[in-house]
This record gives sequence, C-alpha cells and structure tokens, in this order.
Amino acid sequence: METAILTFLIILQIYFLAGLAFGVYFILFAKRIDPLMGNSKKVIRLLLFPGVVATWPFLIKRLFQNKNE
Amino acid sequence: MGLDYKLVLWNKHKKKYDKIFALSIVLYLVLFIVLTLLLNPEGTAETLIIRAFGSLAILMLHIILIIGPLCRLNPQFLPILYNRRHLGVSMFLAALIHGTFAIIQFHTLGNTNPIVSVFTSNLDYGSLTNFPFQVLGFLALLILFFMASTSHDFFLKNLSPKIWKGLHMMVYVAYALITLHVFLGAFQQETSLPTIGIMLVGFILVSGLHLTAAFKETKNDNIKKKKEEDGWLKVCQVREIMENRAKIFTVNQERVAIFKYQGKLSAIHNVCKHQGGPLGEGKIVDGCVTCPWHGYQYLPQNGQSPPPFTEKVATYELRVQNGWVFIKPEAFPEGTEVEPAKI
Repeated sequence: METAILTFLIILQIYFLAGLAFGVYFILFAKRIDPLMGNSKKVIRLLLFPGVVATWPFLIKRLFQNKNE
Repeated sequence: MGLDYKLVLWNKHKKKYDKIFALSIVLYLVLFIVLTLLLNPEGTAETLIIRAFGSLAILMLHIILIIGPLCRLNPQFLPILYNRRHLGVSMFLAALIHGTFAIIQFHTLGNTNPIVSVFTSNLDYGSLTNFPFQVLGFLALLILFFMASTSHDFFLKNLSPKIWKGLHMMVYVAYALITLHVFLGAFQQETSLPTIGIMLVGFILVSGLHLTAAFKETKNDNIKKKKEEDGWLKVCQVREIMENRAKIFTVNQERVAIFKYQGKLSAIHNVCKHQGGPLGEGKIVDGCVTCPWHGYQYLPQNGQSPPPFTEKVATYELRVQNGWVFIKPEAFPEGTEVEPAKI
C-alpha cells in the first residue's frame, strides 16, 4: 500500500513540476496559446498561473493546435 | 464574449453581492469563534482556525450546490447564481486555510514530508471506522484547486466548454469526499453527533433539491403539446410570458426560450454559447437577451451577439393566433434573422 501511495505522490509531484515549468512559459508567451491574451493586461497572467499549472496538458495541446493552423 | 480578458468580471450587482458574501463570511467566523470559546475555552488557536474555516467551507459548498436547483425551482434565487463563481473561489480559499493549518498542526512535527505524512501516518485503509479521513479531505482539496484555479473565461475557451464543464462537475466528487471526510473525522475524533447530524441535514437538502428540480424539469418536458396539422406547435398563451422575460419549452428535444418584448415575441435556442447558461432564465436588457450566468447577450430576432461579438444561437419561427403562441419545431441555422411575431 505504501509503495502505491508513494508512486501516486511522485506522479503528482512530477505533474505539478511540469505544470510550473509550463506556467513560466505561459507568463512569457501567453499570446501563443490564446491571441486574446495579447490584448489583456499582463497581471491576468499571474491570476491564471495556478490554473495553467493545473491544466498544462490541455494548454500544450492548444499551443500545438495554434502552431499547426 | 469579449475582445480581451478581464481580471474579474465585476459589475454593480456583483460588487453588491460580493460585499454581502464577504460580510456574511466575517460574521460567521466571528460567531463561530465566540461560540467555540464560550463552549470550549481549552481548545488551541490552531484547532479553532481549522474548525472555523472547515465548517465555513462546508457551509459555502452546500450553498453552491443548492443554488442551481433553487433557481430552477424559483427564479427569485437567480441573483445568487450570478455570483456563484466568486463564491466557489472563496470556498476553496476557506478549505485551503483549513487544510493548511490541519497539515501544519498534525503532520509537520516528524521527519516525514507533511504531504506524505497525510497519506502514510495512518495506513488503515482497509478499515471503515479507522479509515484515514484526512486523505479524503486532501483529495477533495485537490479537486477544488483544479476548479477554483480554472474559474476564468480563459480556461472555458482554451480547455473547451466540454472539458471545462466536466472538470467543474467534479464538485460532486469533492462533495462526496468531503462528506465522508467530515463523517469519519467527527466519528473518529470525538464521535461528534451534532456534526454528523448537520452533515446529514445538508446531504438531504442538497439531494432533495436536486431531485425536486429534476422532477419538475422532467414534468415540463413531458407535457404533451398539441401538434397542429400545418406543422406548428401550440405552446402557451401570450399572457403566460412576462414582459422582457421568457418561457422555456422543449421542442424536438431541444430547449427553446420564447421572449416577449415591445409587443413582439421571438424564440431562440435556450443554451448560451459561453457556458451553456439557460438564456430563458435571463431577461431582455437594452434590447438584448442577457444570459443570467455571465451576461452574454444575443439579439432576440436573430440570435446573434451584438457587434463586434460573434456568438450565435439558433432561432425559431413563431405565430400568434387568438392569444395563443405557436412555434415551428424546426430550428433555423444559428444567427438566422426571423421576423418577430406581433402580439
């Protein structure tokens, strides 16, 4: 049981660390994910940061979709 | 609907409700602390904070969960619905304070990582009565974090409405986890019967209201409407619809809102393009159908958002005869101009 719990927590940690890295990218290049971010105040990026950390796989998918369009 | 993102979507009414909620939160906390100090003066400050914010978060979660069915049962509750997003984020913050203090108090004294300690300090996962209830609270907090942190239009657009909605429907999983967390916690720590009783009443209230609202909607959906020979459906009398308001009907398995305004009637699809809000529960403001959830607007005669916005919903043809309203069940493509029916 303990091994399963530790594995779950390590996966969770990796997920959020990757999210933090993508969050930094978002702060710098949010416009590449959503062009509307270019018209919005920069402080909004900080407000959105926790959500970006939480949902980064979906936003990476969005980023690639935008690049392919 | 917008050409940029706003930090917080505030307007006069939302500010008013936010002030009321903030004041209510402060009053609740003061009341809880004073009562606890009077009834149990030996408790520590950390325990007081954990219980005050934990109970506050549960109370707010119950309010959040009953707002939806209450609005479907009685439109007078709609103003609270407009503020649900801010209430949800505030509830998460209260739960976060509760969780943080609980982890600090119970899991930071040893050498183990506090989060690991939450999961491993009690490994009696096979037991029902001694199950590690704090794990349930932690998982619920994790779900609430995902929800609160994505409570912005940016995520609704970029995650897609389907994924966003799915994520936010997880509130029911969080509610189940929190209910078990409180039940087990109250049972294991001190067998607190009042806590168990309050949670039980809350559960009955939440499930009862959801079932009642679902029953009412099913009943409305099943009302047989007489289909006329020429393909028109007789739905209601004109006087049944209030001025600048709508009545909602199910036509061809789709919900349609019929609005009355300035001596005319127009019908549009009931589902807002923004977040699936019920347009028929909104009203006409400045000549536009205004969604009760976040204020997205559509022109009643063509279902189009006023320029420069681009959202569109389907429209329907109406006819008025001897005070009765008839509708053509086939929807026009989204944004199609339809001549309003004169009353």
